[in-house]
Amino acid sequence: MVQPIVRLAGLGRSFPEGGGLRSVLDGVDLSLPAGQFTALLGPSGSGKSTLLNLVSGIDRPDTGVVEVAGVALHDLSERERTLFRRDRLGFVFQFFNLIPTLTVEENLLLPFELRGGVTPRQRERARELLDRVGLVDRLNSWPDLLSGGEQQRIAVARALVHKPQLVLADEPTGNLDRDTGEVVLDLLDELLRPLGTSLLCVTHAPEVARRMDQVLIIRDRKVVRLEAGDENGMPGQSAEVASGGERG
Amino acid sequence: MNPFPGLGGGPLFRAGRRHLARNPWQLVLSVLGVALGVAVVVAMDLAIQSSREAFRVSSETVTGRATHQVLGGVSGLPDSLLVQLRMEGGVSAAAPVVDAYVTSPRAPGRALRLLGVDPFSEGAFRPWLAGGPTSDLDGSLLLSRRGAVVLGRELAEVMGLKAEDPMEIGTGEGWGELQVVGVLEARDRASRLGLQDLLIVDLAEAQEQLGRLGRLDRIDLILSGEEDAGAREAAVMRLLPPGARLERAGSREATMAEMIRAFDLNLTALSLLSLVFGVFLIYNAMTFSVVQRRRTLGTFRALGATRGQVMLSILGEALLLGVMGSFLGLLAGIGLGRGLVRLVTRTINDLYFVVSVEGLALPPGVLLKGAALGIGATLLAALPPVWEAGAASPREAMARSSVESRVRRTVPLAAGIGTALAAAGTGLILFPTQALLPAFIGLFGIILGMALLTPLGTVLLVGALRPLLRRTTGVLGAMAARGVVTSLSRTAPAVAALVIAVSVTVGLGIMIQSFRGSVVQWLDATLQADLYVSTPSAVSARADGELPPGAGAMARNVEGVQGLNSYRGVELLTDYGMTRLVALDLDPLGDAGIDLIGGRSGGDQVFEMFRAGDGVLVSEPFAFRQEVGVGDTIRLEGDRNDLALPLLGVYRDYGSETGAVMMSRAVYDLHWEDAGVTSLGLFLEPDADERTVATALREALGTERPLVVRSNSELRELSLEVFDRTFAVTRVLRLLAFGVAFIAILSALMALQLERRREFGVLRANGMTPRQGWGLITAQTGIMGAVAGVLAIPVGLMLAVVMILVVNRRSFGWTLEMQVGVDLVLQAVALALVGALLAGLYPSWRLGRTSPAEALRGE
Repeated sequence: MVQPIVRLAGLGRSFPEGGGLRSVLDGVDLSLPAGQFTALLGPSGSGKSTLLNLVSGIDRPDTGVVEVAGVALHDLSERERTLFRRDRLGFVFQFFNLIPTLTVEENLLLPFELRGGVTPRQRERARELLDRVGLVDRLNSWPDLLSGGEQQRIAVARALVHKPQLVLADEPTGNLDRDTGEVVLDLLDELLRPLGTSLLCVTHAPEVARRMDQVLIIRDRKVVRLEAGDENGMPGQSAEVASGGERG
Repeated sequence: MNPFPGLGGGPLFRAGRRHLARNPWQLVLSVLGVALGVAVVVAMDLAIQSSREAFRVSSETVTGRATHQVLGGVSGLPDSLLVQLRMEGGVSAAAPVVDAYVTSPRAPGRALRLLGVDPFSEGAFRPWLAGGPTSDLDGSLLLSRRGAVVLGRELAEVMGLKAEDPMEIGTGEGWGELQVVGVLEARDRASRLGLQDLLIVDLAEAQEQLGRLGRLDRIDLILSGEEDAGAREAAVMRLLPPGARLERAGSREATMAEMIRAFDLNLTALSLLSLVFGVFLIYNAMTFSVVQRRRTLGTFRALGATRGQVMLSILGEALLLGVMGSFLGLLAGIGLGRGLVRLVTRTINDLYFVVSVEGLALPPGVLLKGAALGIGATLLAALPPVWEAGAASPREAMARSSVESRVRRTVPLAAGIGTALAAAGTGLILFPTQALLPAFIGLFGIILGMALLTPLGTVLLVGALRPLLRRTTGVLGAMAARGVVTSLSRTAPAVAALVIAVSVTVGLGIMIQSFRGSVVQWLDATLQADLYVSTPSAVSARADGELPPGAGAMARNVEGVQGLNSYRGVELLTDYGMTRLVALDLDPLGDAGIDLIGGRSGGDQVFEMFRAGDGVLVSEPFAFRQEVGVGDTIRLEGDRNDLALPLLGVYRDYGSETGAVMMSRAVYDLHWEDAGVTSLGLFLEPDADERTVATALREALGTERPLVVRSNSELRELSLEVFDRTFAVTRVLRLLAFGVAFIAILSALMALQLERRREFGVLRANGMTPRQGWGLITAQTGIMGAVAGVLAIPVGLMLAVVMILVVNRRSFGWTLEMQVGVDLVLQAVALALVGALLAGLYPSWRLGRTSPAEALRGE
């Protein structure tokens, strides 16, 4: 049996609020097969970002198990989780989050530099990726001189440069127009699939979800799998989910 | 591979460096903060070290290789003692010395040291004076003619002198003439420093010039090289006349250097305040820089930078700022030190002893200490922001979290720590000891504690102000008030820096005001006579010359003089340390001139006993330092015989902090061989004219010696002038400290307002005019200033109490009456308000020029 890239079991997470505790996730069980693209849907405040934080090891669960690529993140120290993230995960953010004081190339090389240095081979790979995203001529530019689409393409390249096993994307097209968003999704397809890299993508957009291999939705603090053709579950299609901000 | 990716060429440090380069004002203010703090500390340290070094070198030069010194009492030593020591004491190496400070019209205001030596005895002691193949000077030159003098090349050039030139010197005896017979070349730095104020003459010449025929100031001895040095010492002691002491070489200098320790410590503590403000500045700038980059730091963390890497990179930035600031601070400190050394030397000359400093010494230790302090203080100030950076969660790369809500949660904790610190500081101050250092540490504890209490004070005061502002100025006023609290991470340090700067200004102001007030009261009480006669002293504010013999009797016969006090003051090394002996022939009219502490009850009886020679009085600093009280026995070694008399009373005296023992003239004459009179205080007939009497006095006392006759009001003015001069250094330091604090506030306010560019853009987009925007910022900085002013009053009063009752008492032994002027309190609020409003000008101008679109775009 193939090992899942992500395995969650009995996962629970609450936050203090108004003198009490507000439960965001409760008893979440989930297994994501390696190499697949997964969309995670849910209304605002439903716990999508919390789940992403738990899977990336940025946050720790109150209860339950988080295993990523066979590593039990919930048992690791803060430093060990940081190193795990650095070596095995890639991130694409909604607001790109390129480092404004590093050039495009330096941003790309960041995962290597954080490990201690860049080899010529790694530099070559960074340039290749820049070429693939069509921005090799912007090698020495500052990020704030690039358009939103260009910045996100760089961010995609940065997420992949160290060949992670899992890429976590938080609304990767949320800040882009439809066409530019398509370009970014195409890039993710082109670059991740040949390497068998998994993708977990938090989104509100149905068109993004449709391009994934499977779609999950957070309902009543649990993650539910949407089967093909379950149009009611898609954002914009189901009144229940789309307006469910109160559900948490 | 770079093992420290947080440092050097690592991406975090590279990004940080570029961030600083993109925000040059932030960089400049941070570097300036460190530089100014370091400059003030280094300048003060250099000035103090230079005066000490000059004193040490000058002492060593004239002490030479002597191991022991026989020191004379008030009247010195008889010539004959030298022969006795050689013949009966078996001492082979002994050199007689006459040593005094004189002046010369060719070097105005400069104290020159007239050293009278016997060229034939000098070989073993000061070889550069003795003659011979390796010497610099043919000693026999000194004997070649009357008035022969030798001096160093540097001094000769300053005075425009060369061989064969005549020169005039001023002594307590009047004006005398010398002739240059040789100019000495300095062999090294030490001898150059040693020679810079030295006039070398033959022993007999010095005795004649100074009116000390047959008397020596000291005899230098070399005993340790001889067999059985202990027995030699005992043999020498047996031969000593009453009043003379055998001391190891340098012990007298060490005692004198010890005298200025408290003075030095006060100045050092004051200069450290500037560094404290520098620390605030760095803290502000670094915190702002971290808060500004939280999202970036969060991204670094999300991408796998460890907490340690992030913290190390911020610490690296701080180190860079610290090194740059300290380097600039050292350069500025050397420049500033040249100015301060003059003020410090002047005060030492006025209050303690004569020292001539003509250049700034640059001991590497002081510079290293300055650099270490600058870098250390920067790293210390950077710790909270470094911690803050380490706490930047990767989540912040995805969502904005509120730094401010966390800061607001820490307000009670900060207040708690502040209270504990202030309490610990108070405890340290109240701990019964005479040591000064615990008092200063306690004082800094209180200051730091108060700084930590400022956020709570700000929240409470602004909370109380807000409804009032809402009613009077509408929504903008309420917004301004709310903004102070919602941005507490930025506003609290700014207000704290302002509170400390203003409270220190208030505290020092009250201390100086109280001190001056106490001195004025003391002068009113002690200056009872109508005219005062003394000899002038060019090198010190104190009268230390000698009036012509029989001056008292002559003055008494001048028409219009009803009565007089005669006063003799000499500095003497006693078992109590350096002590000023005061012999007073007290006219009944002058009883009130001695301000006895503890009320005047029994005063008449005290003066009766004092006149009868049944006891002595001591000054307040003496009683404090020696821990003696009324009834205790005071013991002194006299020239003729030893004195042991009961202490009758303690009198207030702000004239000398070394401590004085006052006795009646009759008692003095009984124990010391010294007929000299230092000054006279004359009581005139009610209808006598001061000027006429003064003219008659000058005629009666003759013109052989220069005399100064001053009226009561002139002497009072002069005394206050000296007082003000003494505090000139304090004032300069206070000003510098405030300057650094002002820059700290400016930096904090700029950070605060520029950080809110986006918010400002939203307001502008919604129709707020630039004028309204200016009003908003001004209101906000005004609120901060007012809050700081109000908080600074109690803190300033507290600092004043500590400085007056503890620091001054332990430093100088004086009690001062606290005087708090309403004007000073109002000044505090005004100072804080104006400081804050001025600091808000630039940010409001800059924001006013920013277009709303640009502000909204810039994240």
